[in-house]
Amino acid sequence: MITAKGLYKRYRKTVAVDHLSFDVRPGVVTGFLGPNGSGKSTTMRLMLGLDHGEGETLFDGKRFGTIRRPMNEVGALLEAKPFHPTRSARNHLRMLAAGNRIPDSRVDEVMEFVGLGDVKRKKPKGYSLGMAQRLGLAQALLGDPQTLLLDEPTNGLDPHGIHWMRDVLKTLASEGRTIFVSSHLLSEMQLMADELVVIGRGTMIFNGDVDTFVREFTQSQVVVRGPDTGSLAETLKAEGADVATEADALVVSGLEIGKVGHLAFTAGVELHELSTRRASLEEAFMSATGASEQFVAKEPVRAADTAAPEGKAL
Amino acid sequence: MLDALRFEWTRISTLRSTYWLTGMGLLVTTGVAVLLGVAARNEPLDAEILTMALNGGASFGLPFLAVFMAIIGIFACGHEYRHGTIQPTLTSLPQRSRLILAKLIVVVAATLVVTFASMAINTLVVYIVWGEAPGLFEDPIATALIGYALYTLIYVLVGFGLGLLFRGVPSALVVIFLMPLIIESIIFGLAFVPALDWLVPVVKFLPFTAGARLMELNPAPFPPGSPDFDLFSRWTSGGIFALFAALILTAAWILFKKRDA
Ligand SMILES: Nc1ncnc2c1ncn2[C@@H]1O[C@H](COP(=O)(O)OP(=O)(O)OP(=O)(O)O)[C@@H](O)[C@H]1O
Ligand SMILES: [Mg+2]
Repeated sequence: MITAKGLYKRYRKTVAVDHLSFDVRPGVVTGFLGPNGSGKSTTMRLMLGLDHGEGETLFDGKRFGTIRRPMNEVGALLEAKPFHPTRSARNHLRMLAAGNRIPDSRVDEVMEFVGLGDVKRKKPKGYSLGMAQRLGLAQALLGDPQTLLLDEPTNGLDPHGIHWMRDVLKTLASEGRTIFVSSHLLSEMQLMADELVVIGRGTMIFNGDVDTFVREFTQSQVVVRGPDTGSLAETLKAEGADVATEADALVVSGLEIGKVGHLAFTAGVELHELSTRRASLEEAFMSATGASEQFVAKEPVRAADTAAPEGKAL
Repeated sequence: MLDALRFEWTRISTLRSTYWLTGMGLLVTTGVAVLLGVAARNEPLDAEILTMALNGGASFGLPFLAVFMAIIGIFACGHEYRHGTIQPTLTSLPQRSRLILAKLIVVVAATLVVTFASMAINTLVVYIVWGEAPGLFEDPIATALIGYALYTLIYVLVGFGLGLLFRGVPSALVVIFLMPLIIESIIFGLAFVPALDWLVPVVKFLPFTAGARLMELNPAPFPPGSPDFDLFSRWTSGGIFALFAALILTAAWILFKKRDA
C-alpha cells in the first residue's frame, strides 16, 4: 500500500508536481498516466526522496528514507537507466544488493528471470534499450519487494517484450503486491492496469478504475448523413447538442442516437446514415489531459482525422 | 552502516580504474626509489635521499601517490554523478550521510593501506640497493614519513570533497591539478616581486604549499634574498591543509543533503 499526500515540487519557475494525493492499493496494477512533461518521473523521484519537495509518501506506513534495507520492501525502476561503463551488469546488481544484504545468488536468479542470464557478465553499455529496461526490472526485483515503482518500464520494448512485461506485472500484482507503473500511453495502460492515476501539468485529473475513466472521458458521438441536413443541424443545436460538420456528415455530441433519429423523423428529414461512433482511448486521454498538455506541437501532424478503432495503438 | 560499507566496498572493487590507479601510483613511487638507487648507489645514504626514496619523490614536490589516490577519491562520488548511478545508489541506501560516511571510510582505508604498502616496497628497494636504511624509525625521518602519509590522506580527502561538491569528475580534476601546480605556484612566484610583496604573508596560508611542509625533513632553506615567508611549523601548516579539506568536505556534505539527486 502506498499513500501519497500533498506531493509538490517546483523547479525555479515550473511547478512540476502540484499537490498530488493518491493511494495505491495492493493486489492490482495501478497505472500512472500523463502526457510528456506532466510530472510522472518527478512524482516518482519525490516518492523515493531522491528529489526534495513537499508532501509525504508512505510505503506500508513508512517513509522510504526510514526503511532499513529498502530494496527488500520497495523496488524502483526509474526513468534513467544509469550504469558505470566498465562494470558488468552482474556486478552492478551485486553492488546494489550488497547495500541491502541480498545474496549474490539472488542476483543470478533475477538476471535469469528477466532473460539476461547469458549476458550478465557483459557491460550494460552494450545492451540494447530493451535489455537495459530488463536489467532495470531485475534491479527493482532484487529484494523481492512488496511494492514496485516503475517509470515507463515498457519504453523501448518490442511488442513481445511489452507482452512479457505486462504478464510479469499482472502476476506480481496477483501475488498481492503493490504495483505503480507510469506510462504516457492509455492503450497500454488499459491492457495492463486495473486502477489509474491520471495527471496533467502536475495536477490530478482522474483517480479511479480504468473502465470508469474510459467511460467518463470517451464521449460517444452520433454521425448523421443525408442529402439535406442543414435544417436538422439547427434543430439539434436547439436541443442543446454540439454539432460539427465533417465532409457531408453532421457529427453530433451530447444527444443520444434515438433522440437524434426521433428529431429527424419529426422534422421529416431524409437520412442516409445514422450511427454512433466512440472516440478512441487515445482521444479520450487527449480530451482529458489535452488542456493540460505542456508541449503541444505547433503544427500537429494529423495522422487520422476520424476516430481510430479502439485499442489500435501498441 | 555495515551495509553501506559493504556497498561501497563492492562499488570500488568492481571498478577497473581502482586497480590501475593504485597500480600506477605504486609503480611510479617504486620507480622513483629504483631510479634514486641506480643514480646514488655508490654514495652513502643520507637522510635526504632516504626520505625521498621512501615517499617516492613526494618531498621533492611530486606527490605521485597522493595524486593517483586523489583521483580515486574524486571518483568515489564524482562517478556516481558522471554516470548517473547516484539514483539507484540512493534507492539502495537512502540515508545520505551514512552513504557519504561509508564512502569516506573506504577511501581513507584504501589510501592508508596503499600508502604504507608503497613505503614498505620502497624500503625493500632501499635495502636491496644500500643494504641499510639508517635512522628510519627515528626523528627526523620517521616524523617526515608520518607527515607524508597524512599529506597523502588530506590530499585524497580534498579530492573526495571536490568530487562531491562539483558532482562530477572533470571539474574536480581540473581544480585539484590547477590549484597546487598553477595557482599556488604563481602566487608563490609573484610574492618574490617587490611590488607584490603584500602576497608574502598569504603564502603560508596556501593549502597545498602548507600541506607539503608536513613531509619536509628539515625546514627548507630559501635562497638568499627571498622574502621572509614566516612559514608555520610542520603541524600548524598541516592543520591549515586539513582545515581546507574539512571546509570543502563540509560544504559538499551539506549541499549533498539538500540537493536533488
Ligand atoms: N531537474 C529538473 N530541472 C528543471 N525542470 C525539471 C527537472 N526535471 C523535470 N523538470 C520539469 O518538470 C516537469 C515534469 O517533468 P517530468 O520529467 O516529471 O515529466 P514526465 O511526466 O515524467 O514526462 P515524460 O513522459 O516525458 O517522461 C517538466 O516540465 C520538466 O521540464
Ligand atoms: Mg518521465
